[in-house]
Amino acid sequence: MALGPWWRIGWRNLGRNRRRTLITAAGLAFGYLAVVVLIGLMDGLTAEMIESGTGVLSGQLQVHDVEYRPERKIYDTIGGRDGTDVERLVREITSDPVVEAVAPRVFAGGLVSSGESTVAGILMGIDPKLEPGVSTLMNGMVRGRVPAAGTNEILIGTEMARQLEVDVGDEVILVAPAADGSMGNDLYTVSGVYQSGMAELDASYAVLPIGSLQILVALDPGRIHEIAASVTDPWLAPEAADRLTAGLSPLGVEVEVAAWTELRPEMLDYAQLADGWRFVVIFIVFAIAIFGVANTMLMATYERRREIAVMLALGTTPFSIVRSVLSEALALGILSLAFGAAITFPVMFWFHNAPPDLSWLYGDYTIFGALIRPRLRVEYHFAMALWTGVALLMTALLASLYPAARAARVPPADTLSGL
Amino acid sequence: MNRTQALALVLTLFSAPTLAHGQESARDIIDRVDRIMRGESSYGVATMDVVTENWERSMTMEVWSLGTEYSLIHITAPNKEAGTATLKAGDDIWNYLPRVDRSIKIPASLMMGAWMGSHFTNDDLVKESRLIEDYDIEIEFEGERDGAEVWEFVLTPKPEAAVVWGRITYEVRKDDLMPVWARYYDEDDTLVRTMTFSDYRMMGGRLVPAAMDMLPEDKPGERTSVRYSEIEFDIEIDESFFSLRSLRSRR
Repeated sequence: MALGPWWRIGWRNLGRNRRRTLITAAGLAFGYLAVVVLIGLMDGLTAEMIESGTGVLSGQLQVHDVEYRPERKIYDTIGGRDGTDVERLVREITSDPVVEAVAPRVFAGGLVSSGESTVAGILMGIDPKLEPGVSTLMNGMVRGRVPAAGTNEILIGTEMARQLEVDVGDEVILVAPAADGSMGNDLYTVSGVYQSGMAELDASYAVLPIGSLQILVALDPGRIHEIAASVTDPWLAPEAADRLTAGLSPLGVEVEVAAWTELRPEMLDYAQLADGWRFVVIFIVFAIAIFGVANTMLMATYERRREIAVMLALGTTPFSIVRSVLSEALALGILSLAFGAAITFPVMFWFHNAPPDLSWLYGDYTIFGALIRPRLRVEYHFAMALWTGVALLMTALLASLYPAARAARVPPADTLSGL
Repeated sequence: MNRTQALALVLTLFSAPTLAHGQESARDIIDRVDRIMRGESSYGVATMDVVTENWERSMTMEVWSLGTEYSLIHITAPNKEAGTATLKAGDDIWNYLPRVDRSIKIPASLMMGAWMGSHFTNDDLVKESRLIEDYDIEIEFEGERDGAEVWEFVLTPKPEAAVVWGRITYEVRKDDLMPVWARYYDEDDTLVRTMTFSDYRMMGGRLVPAAMDMLPEDKPGERTSVRYSEIEFDIEIDESFFSLRSLRSRR
């Protein structure tokens, strides 16, 4: 410690009442832990929401005809009435560096009926091979299997199955207004029942092979409504969308490439709001801590007032007294930070890699239609860990300003004479 | 209104000619128009042309009705749709689909859905005969318009009525009780659609508007036109005719 006498005095003063120092440092360290873990949990929740909200069905990127959104009319297929070369488009989109998987889709609104029960459903035509790369809808299979391409098989949600009183192997009738104005209708066999956990999905989405749906609603094989894509990191989706918009325009199809941030603006808003809350968390936790530290430093300087009086009497400037107290506070801060980091990082590592599951305590719940599992998942955010450290040191210093000022104003003669 | 309703209207309208309606309340007039138009029972053949932004098509159908509770519509052309039938029995609507040889019941949540891709809704089928029950009716205008003496009625839903319209206005010619148009407003009092009647002619022994056009306000250029080529009234028919079994056998 060759950093000058004041620094050394500050550091050594910490050792004079070790128990008090440790208790104060522990307070700051746990404050650090609380802030970093809380922010991690908030980020974890946001990440979970985005992954679930985009991963169950929508994907992080969607390509549509420019006319398709928001009405989602059956006529507005990619490339207009003539359709497009689906395979080529899929290839082009797959070639983007951050795109992981791509799935073409056809949508139609229709009735699903069995016996006396009829429910309104959203019919979603998918490629059974490509779809699992983008959405997890079919991972939640409760019974049966995915519909096979080229067959009149259909996958429905548990709630729809319950309402229709059907199960795997039973027949349902689909009726859907077709693109040519006729009423498409046909018999389908339930090949499987899924459960996504989201009630509205389980009640309304019926999944069938893309070709079968195109036949039902009189669309040519080249006519699809959507190509959904998953990307390596959800936050890379917006720039991938821009890149694809530019990259696909030479193909001569007028498409709109939208990232989840555009498709689900409420999720983006939530993520941004959560970002803003990080600093609120830092402020609240350290605002509480600052009074504890100030109290400790007041005590420490008060105990030492005779010593300080001697120093002042010997010619030490009041400014040097302030420096010594602030050095002590800074040393305390660094000690606390080291302690805090030592307890925080293992917890973060644990919660990040093996989030404790609280499903015994809470059930699944949804935010903005995204299914959230009740677990203590944290996301690393190193910049915030750094900022929190800075905030901790600032707290220690700010808390010591008043004690330092008081120490510097100790009247030497009065103090030494025992007054 | 759908074509059955229209049919009913048509049916009702032509008989009543020359009674003195001066003292009648608005409600009585509509009731009479309704009854005359409907007859005890009826059979008709109609063509429905639907024009939308995306496609145009024409369907030919036979229509039977009995009282206010029953009607059956059987599509005979084009081939793709031939055999498709719709049965209205009370509040229920069933569609028979010949391709899969099944009947499906339209759930309450879908009553506002389009009937056979037209601008009529399933609800129109059910509510056709309920104007008197569901609405308070007043005369809004009485006098000459376009060279004819007319009434304009305004129909306001009764508080307890489960109806979708906020208001309906309805113009009827005084001398022959022929409907001229009906305008449907939503709960914000925005005009949603207009139905016009034309081509008044003698059919089945009564004067009826043989042509009806439904024009949705939010989709300019789109329309559904129904034109009757044949109507008979008070035919021999009973309730057993309006059954799911008969839906099937009719194909």
